[in-house]
Amino acid sequence: MTDLSLNSTDRPRPWRTGAIVILAAGVYGWALIMAEETWQVLGLLVLALVAVLIGFKTGQVKQVHQAWAGSEPRLNRLAFATLIALILALSQEHFALLMVTTVLLYFVAAMGLNIQFGFAGMVNFAGAAFFGAGAYTAAVLGNVTAFPPLLTLVAGGLVALVLSIPLLVPIVRTTGHYAAVVTIAFGVLFRTFLEVNEILGGPQGLMVAPMRLFGWDFNNSPVIAGFEMSFYANYALLAAVLAALVFTLLRRLERSWIGLHMDAVRLDETAAACFGISIKRTKITAFLMGNLILGVSGALYGMMISFIAPASFAFSDSLLMVSIVLLGGLGSPWGAAVAATIVILLPEKLQLLQEYRFLLFSVLVILVLLFRPDGLLPRQLRNFFASRRAGK
Amino acid sequence: MDFGLIAQYVANGILLGTMYALVAVGFTLFFGVLDVIKFSHGDVLMLGTFIGFTAWLGLEAIGVSNPWLQLLGILLCSLGATALIGAAIAKWLVLPLKNAPQLNTLLITLTLGTAIREAVRLFYPNGSNPKAFPALLPDAAIEIGNFSLRADSVILVLAGLGLIGLLNLVINRTRLGLAIRAVAQDEETARIMGINYTLVVLATFALGSGVAAFAGVMNGLYYNEINFGMGLILGLIGFSAAIVGGLGNLYGAILGGFLFAGLQTVGAALLPFASAYKDVFAFAVVIALMAWKPTGLIPERSSDRV
Amino acid sequence: MRNKFHGIVLAASACAGLALASGAQAETTVHLGFLGPLTGGNSSVGLGGRNSAELAIKLRNADPDTKYTYELDALDDECKPNVGVQVATKLATNRKIAGAVTHYCSAVAMGTVDVYHRFGMPATIWGAVLPDITYGNDYPEITRVNGTMINQNETAAKVMTGLGYKSFAIVHDTTDYGKGHFNYLSKYLAENGAEVVGAFGVTSDQQDFTAELTQIKALAPEVVVYAGLTPGGVRVRQQMDKLGIQAVFEGVSGIKSDAFFEGLGAELAEGTLTFLEGAPAEKLPGGAYFLSEYEKAGFSTPPEAYGPFAFAAMDLLIDAVEAVGPDRKAIVEYMGKVEGHDSITGPISFDDHGQNTVALITGYVAQDGKWVVWDDSDYAKGTRKLPAAK
Repeated sequence: MTDLSLNSTDRPRPWRTGAIVILAAGVYGWALIMAEETWQVLGLLVLALVAVLIGFKTGQVKQVHQAWAGSEPRLNRLAFATLIALILALSQEHFALLMVTTVLLYFVAAMGLNIQFGFAGMVNFAGAAFFGAGAYTAAVLGNVTAFPPLLTLVAGGLVALVLSIPLLVPIVRTTGHYAAVVTIAFGVLFRTFLEVNEILGGPQGLMVAPMRLFGWDFNNSPVIAGFEMSFYANYALLAAVLAALVFTLLRRLERSWIGLHMDAVRLDETAAACFGISIKRTKITAFLMGNLILGVSGALYGMMISFIAPASFAFSDSLLMVSIVLLGGLGSPWGAAVAATIVILLPEKLQLLQEYRFLLFSVLVILVLLFRPDGLLPRQLRNFFASRRAGK
Repeated sequence: MDFGLIAQYVANGILLGTMYALVAVGFTLFFGVLDVIKFSHGDVLMLGTFIGFTAWLGLEAIGVSNPWLQLLGILLCSLGATALIGAAIAKWLVLPLKNAPQLNTLLITLTLGTAIREAVRLFYPNGSNPKAFPALLPDAAIEIGNFSLRADSVILVLAGLGLIGLLNLVINRTRLGLAIRAVAQDEETARIMGINYTLVVLATFALGSGVAAFAGVMNGLYYNEINFGMGLILGLIGFSAAIVGGLGNLYGAILGGFLFAGLQTVGAALLPFASAYKDVFAFAVVIALMAWKPTGLIPERSSDRV
Repeated sequence: MRNKFHGIVLAASACAGLALASGAQAETTVHLGFLGPLTGGNSSVGLGGRNSAELAIKLRNADPDTKYTYELDALDDECKPNVGVQVATKLATNRKIAGAVTHYCSAVAMGTVDVYHRFGMPATIWGAVLPDITYGNDYPEITRVNGTMINQNETAAKVMTGLGYKSFAIVHDTTDYGKGHFNYLSKYLAENGAEVVGAFGVTSDQQDFTAELTQIKALAPEVVVYAGLTPGGVRVRQQMDKLGIQAVFEGVSGIKSDAFFEGLGAELAEGTLTFLEGAPAEKLPGGAYFLSEYEKAGFSTPPEAYGPFAFAAMDLLIDAVEAVGPDRKAIVEYMGKVEGHDSITGPISFDDHGQNTVALITGYVAQDGKWVVWDDSDYAKGTRKLPAAK
């Protein structure tokens, strides 16, 4: 304990390590997004691998963890600022921004799933269906001109919520694989229904009206100080704000009683029930909250992509979301961010390898699961007293 | 609706049901011994069928043209190879993850399924196109009005049901079956009693995969077409069937398989609107069934160990 | 130690930046795009299209008279609209791309035309047949070298009723493609006095059609039509045989591929009818040239039905670049004036919607494991008979 009082000027400022990692990640992200040649992408991947390995060897990874434990709010704000800076730096690259926004929205969706998978321990293999419900809501409401578009996001979430109500009974009553089949069946049902149904565009899909905010059409390119930015910058910024909001919500939830209840239910239902936690209520809360978030992110996704079809919300897309959650580490929002980047960006970048990219990608996931079964950035223990951890 | 049409629907349903049940049996076996879901089951099945198809091409090339001999060759190669593949997956992908969360096993096998599917599509000669699977069974048919019953369908159903019966005998009447049941009930006790746990798990995976390969060959013989995507939907349906029937129970899997086939057929025959809704109907009923019987129609006989 | 780590991280980031800077170099190379399904169930047609487009570029690059060197950027739309929009955006926002030859799947094309318009990139459709892709908008950027399904079904209905068939059952996949074919075909069949006794929507990846076909059997039509793509067509024909349905099997342009025979075998495929826009490649002098060059180039997969269109579209795009330079606006303008342009699929003339007016529709029949032009077939000559022929 005595070393705490020793000359404080010499003490490491742990948050600096975190800050440097965030800035480096920002630069790296920019480089990866801009890389076009295969050798560049592969080079960057090798670089990341080497950096992480060196980090582990020299014990830096631990320090980064400590930095986070010590000064999370500050670092989170810095990360958000870096993200905004990244978006602005890319503001003239349409496609890069499209990718950034897609990654962000999948990140948000993965956070929604994390409430279910990571906190409450409920499986949901219909993530894409609820995501799609939001997108379809946006498509339908977009044609109603009087409807305020910002509310469309909320409406997308609400529709996903309403759709989950019929599933509540089977979801609450079943566990494990039995619950998996309920959601899988719902996912298949949702997609097949959209495909055979004429009113919602059938298999061909629907156009989605763009986002309008305070009379501002999001599909117009904003001009700031003579610079014409890509219209995707609008969506990217909005998605960044949404991601920040949901991230905060998730962190708050984790530290709240509800989050504790969810963890208890996941770890041991019987014990949780003995301590007077209502399993039913906790599960319903997690399921609805997660699907609401999925719906909201889906609505924004629909508006950005401007065209949706049932094929976009198939079982394989649900799997993609689940792999993001698992690859990142159950219940770990930062892990989800990293995993979303890998899962969305990598196949896109490896498109240079064309036909082989799915094969490579699935082999990669298998390897990660075999050698790092807790995910890339496993969830850390709750840290209620940040300042006390920083020392020792 | 006349009698012939109804009989035709029933015949179709029974054939589909046998196929689904064969796939579902695998899921239920794996779950029994390891408490895991091996989701690559459908794609392993597809791989097995392709191996059988390759064996047929080989037999044609060396001049074996007797259909029964060919069939024997196809089945031996397909079942044998698939059993090995199933055991290999268990050894290198499923067992190492034994202590990881269940979800990881689910995901790793799902991804493996994608990898197998993609590998067949990319590396099998012209793998992205459907292949014409030979029709080796006699195609004599009895026509009664609108009802046409073909000999090959009858043989397929009988063989499928026979295989399920055989499997039932293996599980209930042999030493291996005894070991499998012992492991399924309590792994630790089984180990103490001197059962080679790893071997039993590998044997179970080999058994389940072999049975699925039979379903794949059956699928090929019936539809005379195989393609790299055939495993995905068969696997999905087989899984749903196993769950609805109740995991860890052979009869549950059979019941689930026939139930699902029945739902699809009824959906297609009786729904007043487009028959395309038949899968919507089948899966909606599955969800409803899960709400009613949360652990399947024939529930596992186990209690939570607290 | 920590400083060393920081140094490594920063140096690494700097390296990444430098690596990128070196990647961008100036050149007289013109990049042209290609979009089609390179993975998934329809990949055989997509790969055929890509190979054909690649062939067009190779032949031009080998020609010493060309002003530029061309490079193909082929991307995979997976036949999914969402993926299509993503890769279309990728192409359209890449300033290096002068223009593109795009899409086999109609659903994808419907989603992406807005993207091309928004970014002003000239896109020439090489395979999608839904009329709305060109007629549903006024975008000058969108042109199409192949015909629409309207002409196809008009001819199909005339020919079939001309052969004396009066009752049809239609199985169509529920994509826009299948439904479009169903709508136009039933319209033209009705105009020609034939009756559609039953119509069944099926999902495009459906395996088992026995339920639908059992109902069709009870309806006893003379012709069973499948409106969809090859994989489904193979299955429907297969299962018709299982249920003992004795009727003529007719498909749409989507089943005209070599994969159809590979899936069915020559015996079952025998007597299947289908209709495709354009004159058969073999019959045009340019087409024979295309087929022999394709063979020479040694691609591992066949060009399939729409390969010649992909070749023609790419060739037209290169002509445009040669004439007006790699400038998107100029190319769009050039495309607007294309009239009687020579190509291997016959002369290309765009109407005011950018639709090539392919009046010619060719009927094909499966004969001895090959697609044979109807007029040249043994069936038209009368030496062979279709089942239930009048």
